[in-house]
Amino acid sequence: MKKRLILFFALLLALVTGFTALTTTANAATDNSLTKIEKKGTLVMGTSPDYPPYEFQATVHGKTKIVGMDVAVGQKIAKDMGVKLVVKSMSFDSLLVALQTGKVDMVISGMNPTPARRKNVAFTHTYYQGGYSIVINKSDKGIYKNKDSFVGKTIGAQTGSTMYNESKKQTSGTTVKGMTSVSDLILALQSHKIQGVAMEKPSAQAYVANNKELAAIPSDFNLSASDTSASVAFAKGSTALVNKANKSVDQIKQQNLVNKAYLPAAGKYLKTNTVNTSMFHYWKAFLTGIEYTLIITVCSVFFGFILGVLLSLARMARGGVFKTALRWLATAYVEFIRGTPMMVQVMFVYFGLGLIVNLPALTSGIIAISLNSGAYVAEYIRGGINSVDNGQTEAARSLGMSSGATLRYVVLPQALKNIWPSLGNEFITLIKDSSIVSIIGVSELIFQSNIVRSDTYRGVAPIAVIMVLYFILTFTASRILNYFERRMQHD
Amino acid sequence: MTKPIIEVKDLAKNFGKNQVLKDITEQVTPGQVIVVIGPSGSGKSTFLRCLNLLETPTSGEVDFAGENLTTLDTKRVNELREQMGMVFQSFNLFPNMTVLENIKLAPMKVKHVDDATATKRAHELLKQVNLDDHADAFPASLSGGQAQRVAIARSLAMDPKVMLFDEPTSALDPEMVGEVLSVMQQLAEQGMTMVVVTHEMGFAKSVADRVWFMADGYIQENSTPDDFFSNPQTERAQDFLSKILM
Repeated sequence: MKKRLILFFALLLALVTGFTALTTTANAATDNSLTKIEKKGTLVMGTSPDYPPYEFQATVHGKTKIVGMDVAVGQKIAKDMGVKLVVKSMSFDSLLVALQTGKVDMVISGMNPTPARRKNVAFTHTYYQGGYSIVINKSDKGIYKNKDSFVGKTIGAQTGSTMYNESKKQTSGTTVKGMTSVSDLILALQSHKIQGVAMEKPSAQAYVANNKELAAIPSDFNLSASDTSASVAFAKGSTALVNKANKSVDQIKQQNLVNKAYLPAAGKYLKTNTVNTSMFHYWKAFLTGIEYTLIITVCSVFFGFILGVLLSLARMARGGVFKTALRWLATAYVEFIRGTPMMVQVMFVYFGLGLIVNLPALTSGIIAISLNSGAYVAEYIRGGINSVDNGQTEAARSLGMSSGATLRYVVLPQALKNIWPSLGNEFITLIKDSSIVSIIGVSELIFQSNIVRSDTYRGVAPIAVIMVLYFILTFTASRILNYFERRMQHD
Repeated sequence: MTKPIIEVKDLAKNFGKNQVLKDITEQVTPGQVIVVIGPSGSGKSTFLRCLNLLETPTSGEVDFAGENLTTLDTKRVNELREQMGMVFQSFNLFPNMTVLENIKLAPMKVKHVDDATATKRAHELLKQVNLDDHADAFPASLSGGQAQRVAIARSLAMDPKVMLFDEPTSALDPEMVGEVLSVMQQLAEQGMTMVVVTHEMGFAKSVADRVWFMADGYIQENSTPDDFFSNPQTERAQDFLSKILM
């Protein structure tokens, strides 16, 4: 047993080392970065669109799109390069990973060019010099003056952001709470879970302008220029690309385009955005969410089931070196998948496999969830096959049926009937668990609700809506499954 | 003398350290009805299951129609199994299929008979076992006797040369034993080669051509029913017969 364990870990180590090596080689590409973009004709910009006025979703002529001053900056850079800008949205935490793994060509997301980040990516000159504010509830105005007023209280900041790190460093006696999205932070603020939210000044102004219950106070953080400025990030080593972008950025600075043109334009979107914050107004966004949630679930159930059948058969293979190896592999796979979080698997498939083949987020999500589901389904099926009386196999074999035909026509149909409730459970779980792929930017229900939340500045209503939508989906699914379960009852 | 259809040579079977079959050499000629009797745990069922390789013999040979099953590949064994129907103590009908589907499955999937032909043949067989009115029933709704008759029809659907019966009436209520035995008797009268493991001494007496008495992993006696029941040679057989009510 011990020997097996050692072997297993050795294997794991080899796998991890292999991937690390791969990552390094991918990074050490020669600098044909600019020509590559020009050849491709598109410049893919990664951003986390929940940070108005930097970037956010707006409904323009019934279509949701990502707008904001960062998008304007991106457009300028792309235009100067003579290519088309493609905007890809994902969570702030994932942005730099996406850049390093080539999922996006550049990141513009109000990102500060801190020394730590400089180690991993290349930054342009800064295109905007901001500062921090702290957003508080208007009712608390007077209690809090700046960052030092929060002793014994809690300040919130976006995880992975400079504000988060600085809040931790520059306050004492204050708890700093990190959340992924700013809309969640505002919601936490309004429900008095936290007392302040540290964010960039323009964002703070946007929130305050759109929500009468909020107020902004100066942060008085002691900040270096790199902490308060925003830059465009490119992959490390792509000097040609950075130099070209710097020309655009310098122009933006010289002509003061951000303050003169970009911010006012973004402000207009913000206003149109908040004109109608009714949930019905956003039915299209929710519909898209349902569509993607269903696509992911149905595809994953389908592929997961096929994988599950194969894995369960491999796990039951007996005799011979080849079959034993197969059994070991399948067992290791099932144990490994069940022993790691699905969220990590999703990120690994999207970013990790992305080094070898560039898969779109949706495909990555479906692959990751299918791989995950397959491991669980395999165990159900194995249990189901074992639950079929051995006499059934003997009867079929005595009639001259091959082991394959026996399995297909006699054992599996009965196994399936026995495990149908468990499989149904797995299906319903998948409808809910598909939400995990929102972290890589697939526009399923959770992702869409986050967009609606940052669009409307309403924290709870979109959550309530998707809760009901999820329930409608799962309830319908369980009714359908029950119908088939009844049809399979013969005794 | 006609060539034997089943020939067993020096057959032995161990389960771990437990020697169930020790050294068996016998043969069955076409048309013969063999009844294997003996005390419980004497290896009768194991012996029967070795004949169609549901159990793999530890050593020795099982020849079917001149081919040594123990040396053949899986594909050929499957082909030969078609020709050896088997009826089990616990029927082993497929519970998720109707009676008709139970019978049609193997002919359609193994012999690739078309649906119409298979259905027609299934109805004929159901008439033969007096169950044609139950064609669309599911096994769960059948009595034990009915289920076993369906199981017999299912085996016959593959047109086997030999039928193996593994205690076909042991799981039945007493009043249902008769209907199954009469179907078996009918089959014997039609000239089917049969090897029957049973405790039905009456059946052995009236239908069997030979009685094989099995005990302690050996076939102790191979004689006609008359000889066996009136004049058992071995002490083991005398002891066995003295213990059962005749």
